[in-house]
Amino acid sequence: MKFNTDPEWLERQAALEDNSYVSVGGFVWAVEELERRRPAAELTRAAFIRLLQLARRDRRLTLEQLSDKLDVELGELVGLETDEHYSPQPRTVKKIAEFLNVPAEKLFVLSGLTRAKDAHFEEAALRFAARSQPTEELSDEEHQALQDYVKFLCER
Amino acid sequence: MRTHVTIIDFKTAKPVEAEVFDEVTVDHFLEAQQEWRPIVLRAARELARRGARELIPQHLHWDWTSKAPQLNVLANIFYGVSYDGKLQGLMKVETVGEYCRCRLPEQDGKPLVYVDYLEVAPWNLKPLAEALGNTPRFKAVGSRLVEAAVLKSVEEEFKGRVGLHSLPMSEQFYLRVCGMTAVGRDVAKQNLLWLEYTPEQAGRFLSGVRKP
Repeated sequence: MKFNTDPEWLERQAALEDNSYVSVGGFVWAVEELERRRPAAELTRAAFIRLLQLARRDRRLTLEQLSDKLDVELGELVGLETDEHYSPQPRTVKKIAEFLNVPAEKLFVLSGLTRAKDAHFEEAALRFAARSQPTEELSDEEHQALQDYVKFLCER
Repeated sequence: MRTHVTIIDFKTAKPVEAEVFDEVTVDHFLEAQQEWRPIVLRAARELARRGARELIPQHLHWDWTSKAPQLNVLANIFYGVSYDGKLQGLMKVETVGEYCRCRLPEQDGKPLVYVDYLEVAPWNLKPLAEALGNTPRFKAVGSRLVEAAVLKSVEEEFKGRVGLHSLPMSEQFYLRVCGMTAVGRDVAKQNLLWLEYTPEQAGRFLSGVRKP
């Protein structure tokens, strides 16, 4: 970040600002919203983790290879796949959305960064998380679950 | 991120070196709560006693400390301005979420940095400092925070687009001092005024070149 170093700019801004009120609110409201949506966010994040794991395995990529492919730090991906409380960077979620070819907004909701506007979205995420159990090889069922869910994300 | 910036000492009218940083912790919220709130309350009581109700700040109900532990949960970015280790201003912005889309017809739907919260320390606000018989301590803290929001927008490749819901008392600051566009009242957000920067307006704010 390169802040303006021109003293004239600063003086002009200071004079215009004139130590008046600058408050922007909504803070408490926003945090209360966070509190309300937190349980849902934790549940959808389980689906996000499974989606990433299955998609990665479906393409036969290691975490390291995926990290190179997405240009995302390996630690970020490891954190994502192993810690359900891990909060990913928006940039990482954007990159994963591009990789999966699904709308980034949907993945923001799924990863817990933003809130779902309808309960159906969360329900579908839960169903997906429940359907797809981890195995060494991706089964046909997992493959189908992954394909169905990616289709769902793209359609809605 | 920790960057040196200049703000102006009100008494000497000279620039002094402050810091803008994004490693905001719960301690900063505790500091704001413990040091700012009693001053705001004292000043508000004094203004009420004088009958100057229009100068009483509208954010008295804010209570940061009870919520602070949850602030690291989602994609929130916080900026603080400090001088000599003391917090002078605090801002929270979002780069994803339901408010991070432009509403101005000419840039409708484009991504923006949403300023969810912005406040400067009460000793930097003229109405509050004067109510307590003081002069403000520093000038331009609010402008530095707005500058940080615009720079974040540029960094995110949003070209300087910024949006916010201003509290009524601050509307003139965002319109007149920052040069943002008032898009309209948001009924879904306590009827607060929604303001936006276009890339051109943000560029003018950063460079200081005013519209001819």
